[in-house]
Amino acid sequence: MVAKCQVISLCRSLLRAGCKYPDYNIREYTKRRTLDGFRMNKNLTDPSKVNDAYAEGKEQLEVVERVLKVYLAYPPKTKNIMELKV
Amino acid sequence: MASLSATSLSFKAPSTRSTRISQVLRKASTFQSISFGRFQSSKSLRLQISCAAKPETVQKVSDIVKEQLALSADTALTSESKFSALGADSLDTVEIVMALEEKFNISVEEADAQNITTIQEAADLIEDLVQKKPAA
Repeated sequence: MVAKCQVISLCRSLLRAGCKYPDYNIREYTKRRTLDGFRMNKNLTDPSKVNDAYAEGKEQLEVVERVLKVYLAYPPKTKNIMELKV
Repeated sequence: MASLSATSLSFKAPSTRSTRISQVLRKASTFQSISFGRFQSSKSLRLQISCAAKPETVQKVSDIVKEQLALSADTALTSESKFSALGADSLDTVEIVMALEEKFNISVEEADAQNITTIQEAADLIEDLVQKKPAA
């Protein structure tokens, strides 16, 4: 059974990895998706389901980190309009 | 104030060696004579200052907390109010810490992030990190 602090730490790692993207869209999507995903599974009590969800989260973390490297190689040249402060 | 006294005291050591610095230090000595009276109590002063955070920092933290937890603008937030008392669970706390990291452009460690429970603690941690950052 995965401990609560591990889950929280996984959430933090996902959020922090997602913040590094130079692309506004992916950054916002990662933040929204991780929070939605963790909130959806917040009330799970069955240990096998908790472990499954945790394993899925870990896989997604690897995906985020791998894709981050690709995106960092080709940063966008212009800022997204949503990032401009009005 | 306590940090002023610390730096002015550290100047004293080289003064005895070189005479060129002594002139500058004669001007600084006025600072020293003022701060000497505080030297004995500087330890307790320093403790106080390290515990207190600026009110504007506390205000910014409360604003972010209100926004994240969708509290109405009227809710009175004291610096001692705990996040859990405001209806935040651990995921909300993680979100608040991320929002604070983004707003103040700092990087909070894992262990520190687990220990934040009140607004005051968050503000103190932010002050610490903001101070350390330019030095690094």
